[in-house]
Amino acid sequence: MLTNYIKIAWKVLLRHPFYTFITLFGISLTLTVLMVLTSFIDHLIGVHYPETKRNRSLYMMQLGIIDSTKNSRNQSSLSYKFLKQFVLPLQTPEKIAIVSDRMTTNSYVGSKRLRLGLKFTDAAFWEITDFAFVAGKPYRQPNVTNGDNVAVISESFRDDYFGKEAAVVGKSIEVDNTRYRVLGVVKSVPDTQLFTSADVYLPYTVPKSNYLTDSYLGMFQVIMLARDSQNMAAIEQEYKEVISRIPVPFVDNGFKAYHLETDAKTYFDTFANTQAGGPDIATFLTLVVLFALMFMLLPALNLVNLNVGRSMERASEIGIRKAFGAPITTLLGQFIIENLFITLLGGLLALGLSWIIITLINQSGWIAHLDMTINLTVLIVSTLLTLIFGVLSGIIPAWRMAKLSIADALKS
Amino acid sequence: MIRHLFTLIWNKKRSQALLLVEILASFLVLFAVMSLLVFKVGNYLSPIGYQYQNRWAVTLDWGSLPDSLADPIRQRLKQRALAYPEVQAASFSSGNTPFANATSNGEHHWNGKVINSFHFWTDDDFARTMDIPVLEGRWFNRSDAAVTIEPIVITQTLRQQVFGSENVIGRILVADDDPKSKSRIIGVVGNYKRAGEYEENSPGTFYRYQRDRWQNTLVLRVRPGTDARFEARLIKDFGNIAKEWSFAVNYMADQREAKQNQEVIQIATFLILITFLLINVALGLFGVLNVSIARRRGEIGLRRALGATEGSISWQFVGEMWVLATFALVLGLLLAGQFPLLNVFDLDAGVYLVAMGVSVVVIYLLVTLCAVFPSRQAAMVQPAVALHEE
Repeated sequence: MLTNYIKIAWKVLLRHPFYTFITLFGISLTLTVLMVLTSFIDHLIGVHYPETKRNRSLYMMQLGIIDSTKNSRNQSSLSYKFLKQFVLPLQTPEKIAIVSDRMTTNSYVGSKRLRLGLKFTDAAFWEITDFAFVAGKPYRQPNVTNGDNVAVISESFRDDYFGKEAAVVGKSIEVDNTRYRVLGVVKSVPDTQLFTSADVYLPYTVPKSNYLTDSYLGMFQVIMLARDSQNMAAIEQEYKEVISRIPVPFVDNGFKAYHLETDAKTYFDTFANTQAGGPDIATFLTLVVLFALMFMLLPALNLVNLNVGRSMERASEIGIRKAFGAPITTLLGQFIIENLFITLLGGLLALGLSWIIITLINQSGWIAHLDMTINLTVLIVSTLLTLIFGVLSGIIPAWRMAKLSIADALKS
Repeated sequence: MIRHLFTLIWNKKRSQALLLVEILASFLVLFAVMSLLVFKVGNYLSPIGYQYQNRWAVTLDWGSLPDSLADPIRQRLKQRALAYPEVQAASFSSGNTPFANATSNGEHHWNGKVINSFHFWTDDDFARTMDIPVLEGRWFNRSDAAVTIEPIVITQTLRQQVFGSENVIGRILVADDDPKSKSRIIGVVGNYKRAGEYEENSPGTFYRYQRDRWQNTLVLRVRPGTDARFEARLIKDFGNIAKEWSFAVNYMADQREAKQNQEVIQIATFLILITFLLINVALGLFGVLNVSIARRRGEIGLRRALGATEGSISWQFVGEMWVLATFALVLGLLLAGQFPLLNVFDLDAGVYLVAMGVSVVVIYLLVTLCAVFPSRQAAMVQPAVALHEE
């Protein structure tokens, strides 16, 4: 039965190449836009290099301290002082890594000037993440304890500073008036990865980091690795208890704080909350879905109109099938399946187009080292979108066609 | 004639309804994108208000050193920079220098009016360094150090929003949360669009640099042609004066380009999407008209047989589309009209009106374009052939 329907759909497609072109053009470009969007969102919040353990990681990005009337607040990354007192002693996480905000500074090679992103990290940072080392190795606990001037640099920074493919382990770089010995070179991380993207990674104990400040607000963020996904809730719970035991009010840099706002959250939630206004992830996804639906609406309406207009083409077929007793539901089913088939065809085209566009965007340098992909998640979401689009655009014409009265249908 | 077209459309209202919804939806999408475009283009046409070529922003980070102790060192850095022949002017500023991502804003109160304004903290040399023309009054100078009421310089936009064309020099504004914090206007500058050309021309207020404040950016005007070799030397010297400090140099021209690219990408994305949607809609309408004309061959043949000219047949189909589009546009304009009326997104009503106008024209063009070819074909119908089929 199904193969029959699909055969018929295929014949209908071949009968009018122009209408087929219009239909496939609309479907495939609409789906292409949505697939590229899906891939980009997946790139932002999915599991990607180098944070391959993101599914069992919790993140801390900011600390907010708030006055008694909740009118005024100071918000920033966390300080080493705060982390040492309240975060590093946590018992439940398997590992805790601290990493600073991305600082920008310059480095000079002859008359060339390199802009670079700098992150100060601890040794656990290299254990929680899965950086691909092109050469050398990361710095370890002894380097951090001694405050050694050592560095891990990104592949692209190496190419800019020393020249392409140079052997650099053991050589030194000068950044912000200080020389650091290069221990390792890692594959570059896209700028969109908030916690891990930088050109130069240094131990947080080097003199330039100024990590010993007196405030709770500072420049560090935290990645915590849970043993498994159940363990994550326990970590959140333990951290909440620790925070609730901090005596308030306290004075921080002249600001009298009555409330503390800090959470260990999944990357998903952390990401959504850093965006202005801070919607939670549910709102964020609702907005994305709404946008996708709105965007599909116009092309879908377009198809509906075209198909309704063309329904008379099939009148004789419908009339005969009805005369031989096919119920409305069977016809309805047939037309919807036909439309789904066409939509899936468009979806396949869209997949090809998306792949081309994604490759182009990745190469354009719009975001440094961007590595958008079409992975399983993107594929599943895309298929879902395609099905939704197929039903959305198929149901009204199918209904109109199935309801055609026999007399009218056979008259022509 | 037009009444006749109305009747024709009314008789087929069920199948025309979907077409109407499609045109309506196209109009609304077009209107949204056009509003954004008109807004951005309008912004672009208003001058930026300062020079960014050969301007460097050096960010200073003195870590945990108290701000008051950092100040003498800051001053030495500025003097050192000015000692170079390559540096033509230098000034301290808060971190929200042009094209930087930082912003700072607050409210002014005056006679019951509340105005939100961007705040900037700069020193006596800032206007000179950035080439900001002072239109009325004067920029800060040494004499402002001793006054009790804090002097401020405001932008033309702020002046117009609060005072219109009245004289403003010497007037006193009160800050948002604290009625005791007063400031006296001593000068007015023109535009100051800190985020670049595409930014809205918003009100801005300049405050004078003070020792215990955190003006952590040193803005330099360098001689044209100065390159990274000098920059490296400068940073090395700075490092010798302030050992534990960190420095980062940004070229404003580069920062502007990055900002500009972001805007252009945003606008281009919208343009590509809207073009795709419109092409899609156009193809669809074209197909629908083709089909419906094929179905109305009998009607056309009859009219031709009764003496209708080719022109009048074409005109009938184009006319039908126009009437339909007009219905959709009236509905669309009723909806779009709510935006300026309810003042959504705080945009100027003119932006919405221009966007509406452009969208209406584009929709009529689109509809005509889609109708012309099928209706020409309809006009070619030979009465004998058409009626024979029947």
